[in-house]
Amino acid sequence: MTYLDKDLTTIHEALVNKEVNPKELADEARSKIAKTNGKLNAFNLVIDNEEYKESDSILCGIPYALKDNLSTKGIKTTACSDTLKDYVPVFNATAYEKLCDSGALLIGKTNLDELAMGGTGTTGNTGIVHNPWNISHMAGGSSAGSASSVAAGIVPYAIGSDTGDSIRKPAAFCGVVGFKPSYGLISRYGLFAFASSLDHVGVFTRNVKDAAIIVDHIKGYDKKDMTSIRDMDDVSLVNGLDGNIKGKKLFYIDEICNKDNYDNPKTKEMLDNFDSLLEKAKDLGFEVYKESVDIKLLNAIKPIYDCISCAEATSNNSNLTGIPFGPRGNGENVMDMMKDARTKGFSPLIKRRFVIGSFILQKENQEKYFLNAKRVRRLLVEIFNKLFEKYDGLILPCSSAGAPSLEQASDKITRNDIILENHLAIGNFGGYPSITIPCGFIDKMPIGVNITGKFKGDANVLNMAYALENTLEFKNQTAKGEF
Amino acid sequence: MFTKELMNKYANDLLFDLSEEEVNLLLEEFDVIRENMEIISNIEGISEVEPLSFPYDITVSSLRDDEDLQNISTEDALKNCHDKIEDVAIVPKVVG
Repeated sequence: MTYLDKDLTTIHEALVNKEVNPKELADEARSKIAKTNGKLNAFNLVIDNEEYKESDSILCGIPYALKDNLSTKGIKTTACSDTLKDYVPVFNATAYEKLCDSGALLIGKTNLDELAMGGTGTTGNTGIVHNPWNISHMAGGSSAGSASSVAAGIVPYAIGSDTGDSIRKPAAFCGVVGFKPSYGLISRYGLFAFASSLDHVGVFTRNVKDAAIIVDHIKGYDKKDMTSIRDMDDVSLVNGLDGNIKGKKLFYIDEICNKDNYDNPKTKEMLDNFDSLLEKAKDLGFEVYKESVDIKLLNAIKPIYDCISCAEATSNNSNLTGIPFGPRGNGENVMDMMKDARTKGFSPLIKRRFVIGSFILQKENQEKYFLNAKRVRRLLVEIFNKLFEKYDGLILPCSSAGAPSLEQASDKITRNDIILENHLAIGNFGGYPSITIPCGFIDKMPIGVNITGKFKGDANVLNMAYALENTLEFKNQTAKGEF
Repeated sequence: MFTKELMNKYANDLLFDLSEEEVNLLLEEFDVIRENMEIISNIEGISEVEPLSFPYDITVSSLRDDEDLQNISTEDALKNCHDKIEDVAIVPKVVG
């Protein structure tokens, strides 16, 4: 009998009924990690004790996994970067602290793209993370290990972070639920900053209700985060799940979903799946509308993201010098030591991103590049804010196909970027609550659909996803691959 | 416009070196970056738009009280420092 492949309520009831105890659950998780990590490489650290606080929370005594870019006091946290090799934080991230207070049982830290700056799960210093539906495919990134571990049934939930789509895209690729709540609903304190104006903490689960349960536990105003939301502490997301969506209005964007814009047969298959999903949504009681957004603005999504994220990352990671922490570089003076540490510590991908950021932040380029990107960010956010006054949510496929094979994995900036692969960043530009749920398969690999709603409309977004999930057959699924 | 010398200058400003291969890959990427930036620059009327630095306009209407919110002890602060003595990090002599 296994438990960690079940939903949180079932596991909690098993604990209450003394069918199982937290030590046995931890043993189950460790045993699954030992059995699978050689093939999946989801974890870089396994906790070998079962310390947890007694509490009356549903999370008490249940193992979970944490992306390795959230500070855990006394537990190594490296963001899969050589610059943070052996770094042991001296304080806790607020989200982790809240889970500790709930009695949740941390079982391990999950692998990510180095410093969360990637979308493939292949660039961390701990190696490639594999997709449990087919280990020759990527899990997606950057929260690759979190997505892979939940899909594999190792843990019922895992914490991730999302700057452009780093929870919602890997969730789609791994066939699980990925939820990024409103910007500031979960404190960013203790999350290693990538691009502060876009960074969110969020969660992977195998059903929508569990996502609501977790976020209810880790959200809340935090004076240590200047962008923390102050007026949602009393909101219960799980209590908002009644499945009543009759008359709720969803819209999709014609420029993104029009099959005539695509040649790839897999993308057409993806959009066929989306069409049938919209029919199911209508049958359920949703009203579904087609909207149009200026294609010039949609084409700007990826450039805006690249510009803002590289610029902010360049600045945020300037503290990785090897002097106060991290491996020391060699040199006869401090500057040479820092240069040696950074040259050896950052991977080629990270260095390229930082150079792009530096270029954008040069005094002579700021107006033309950095500020213009932020101006177009405003134009897009204003358009979507208006659309969210008219509609309850935006519904779109998460990607143009299922998880690419590892041979296709590339984080190189190319001309081939299509909007269907990049639109999830809208959720980061406007800080919107945004959720991915599994909605089918293409070539035996899972695909996902995304629902995004207005800022602070988290309860509504979750409830719409909850209703839709109940009409599909993918709730609580675990991966069927060989791993 | 984008040259190897420029790439190396930016890298040097950021305190790291680039290999020849990294520089060449960057030059390829910068061709795309330049085109992408033109997509942004060519959007009509953006000079009239106020930049958006966060998902929404953040306005701070008051100063926080001057209270001590957290303290990391010297011992904790030095826990991850690889070269230290007593309560300070050791680095090569900066002033002659």
